[in-house]
Amino acid sequence: MTNLSTKTDDKTELASKVNDWVDAEEGYIDRRIFWDDAIYSLELERVFARCWIFVAHDSQLPEVGDFLTTTIGEDAVIVSRGEDGKIHTFLNSCSHRGNRVCFAEVGKTRRFTCNFHGWSYGLDGSLKSVSRPKSYDGKSNFDKSRLGLHQARVESYKGMHFACFDPDAPSLEEYLGDFRWYLDVILDNDEGGIEFIDGNIKSRLKCNWKFPAENFVGDSYHAPWTHSSALIAMFGKQPTMRPDRSYHANVNGHGWEFGLDFIGNAATLNSPQILEYLREHEARFAERLGKVRSRMVASLSSANVFPNLSFLAGHNTFRTWNPKGPRETELHTWVFLNANAPEELKKEYRRGVMLTFSPAGVFEMDDGENFENCTAVNAGVVTRRQKLHAGMGLDSRIEHEELKGNVHQSQINEANQRAFYQRWADLMNAETWADVPVR
Amino acid sequence: MQKPGPTYQSAKYQFEVTVNQAEKIEAREHRAVSVDLVIEIQQFLYREARLLDGEHLHEWLELLADDIHYWIPGMQTRYRNDDAKFSPTRMAFFDDDLEYLKIRVARAKQPSAWAEDPPTRHFHLVSNIEVEPTDTPTEWTVHSLVINSRHHAEDDEMELKARRVDLIRRDTDGSLKLARRKVILQQTILQAKNINTFL
Repeated sequence: MTNLSTKTDDKTELASKVNDWVDAEEGYIDRRIFWDDAIYSLELERVFARCWIFVAHDSQLPEVGDFLTTTIGEDAVIVSRGEDGKIHTFLNSCSHRGNRVCFAEVGKTRRFTCNFHGWSYGLDGSLKSVSRPKSYDGKSNFDKSRLGLHQARVESYKGMHFACFDPDAPSLEEYLGDFRWYLDVILDNDEGGIEFIDGNIKSRLKCNWKFPAENFVGDSYHAPWTHSSALIAMFGKQPTMRPDRSYHANVNGHGWEFGLDFIGNAATLNSPQILEYLREHEARFAERLGKVRSRMVASLSSANVFPNLSFLAGHNTFRTWNPKGPRETELHTWVFLNANAPEELKKEYRRGVMLTFSPAGVFEMDDGENFENCTAVNAGVVTRRQKLHAGMGLDSRIEHEELKGNVHQSQINEANQRAFYQRWADLMNAETWADVPVR
Repeated sequence: MQKPGPTYQSAKYQFEVTVNQAEKIEAREHRAVSVDLVIEIQQFLYREARLLDGEHLHEWLELLADDIHYWIPGMQTRYRNDDAKFSPTRMAFFDDDLEYLKIRVARAKQPSAWAEDPPTRHFHLVSNIEVEPTDTPTEWTVHSLVINSRHHAEDDEMELKARRVDLIRRDTDGSLKLARRKVILQQTILQAKNINTFL
């Protein structure tokens, strides 16, 4: 489907143009990055095959043999809990002829066995057995220890497991950097951390994956306009966003736009029980996180961990934007809550997210339409020549006593979007991780 | 009119139907429900479909019982020996009571529901209707298939296909009401950016 070969010359030539595509200083983005096959192909190599990609939360795979399947870029992977109790991630493609070895999206098993010739792999991806093994007897080129399913590195932060196919990538800790301090707002506001609610709603959007990712990294600007219908239907009015009490913060292309209003996001879940739970625990959140971060626990906000893990604090939903070509994205949506929260809140969060931020949700309904049209119009060659403006808040950078990373005043801003595209450009431009600057 | 049948499955059908159909499909005596009733229920479902096609959503709400449970569970691709293809405590597209359904209708009817203007061109094709008695003489389990074809703007085309199991009730005023609906989507990965209708 792509016209780009893997020849280094072509890649270098393409990559040398990256700075024309992303002008983070002035805030202009070239539309070709949402459309071109060649750019997409390079993106799969230099972004998705290089970065730490979220694959599972610990609570999704509680027992040995539990597995799920997902993708890293367009590489299909199995994520499983091995006999060693650890989470393993490896390609879902047999070492013999490449057939898939797992066809379920979730389940429990002892082996992943290929339907084609019966090669069978363990929960850690190692090759355990093949059919008619005697046919290989004495053949030095048949070494089972070298024929396991190709492994990704797996590291985790507070129950969130990420996988990475690049042996030269920095550790997950380094990759997340100070963004961990922000992630603690949702992952560690309560003893026991979080757990995921069973299930994963999946849907396909005909859009480039970067439109929704940048939407979550910083675009609170769209909320009162795009989501006017849902806000009026539920509250009869628009939310109040205060420039003096709201921020954009970003680290290494990860970003969070937020107010300090504590419960703004949670208020749209239509659940008095959830609001009561949050108010009851406000003092404990502050004890654990400090005053400022405790005000972010469920506030008007959105966030994205580069490249494609988005979340909404307060709604308690995580989602990933999985690329399926430059013009199609598969959305995976989960709901989570504090592991020690009362059992009855599970139903409240689950139903609340389904009502608001799922493909049938009253908020999300209008988003898909925008992302798809922002992508589709670029079929026009003249249209593609017109750069997009992402220049709001160019002079909004501030120094803040407590908030870490690059902090900008006001959540009505595009600082995080520029940081997201800058990180993308850094990776696209870099031959190796050593060339990727810390931002 | 209605013959007393053998012990029929009660209205607790909702969580008992597997992905495609009931584990065991019992033969029904063809007079177990009257022809008149079958036609009345069929017409009720056709009228419901036409209300949805025309976005007469407030009128559609009138067809629902006060205790409606409207459920479209998320479906998962699992192996044959793993029967947990869906579950009542798992994520769903809809897991709604009347209050939630009213919120959805209120949003769809806002002038600022941008995705609804220009309007979607809908049809709901309803077929394979089977009516079965329950232990309650005024309630029937109704099986059907539905195809919702959606066209939007110039060339946006989406199709949702599903199996439905409903509980339809004769209300005290004599009218029929939809009291439970379970919609089993054919797709595990929704091949559409949204579900801006009811199935």
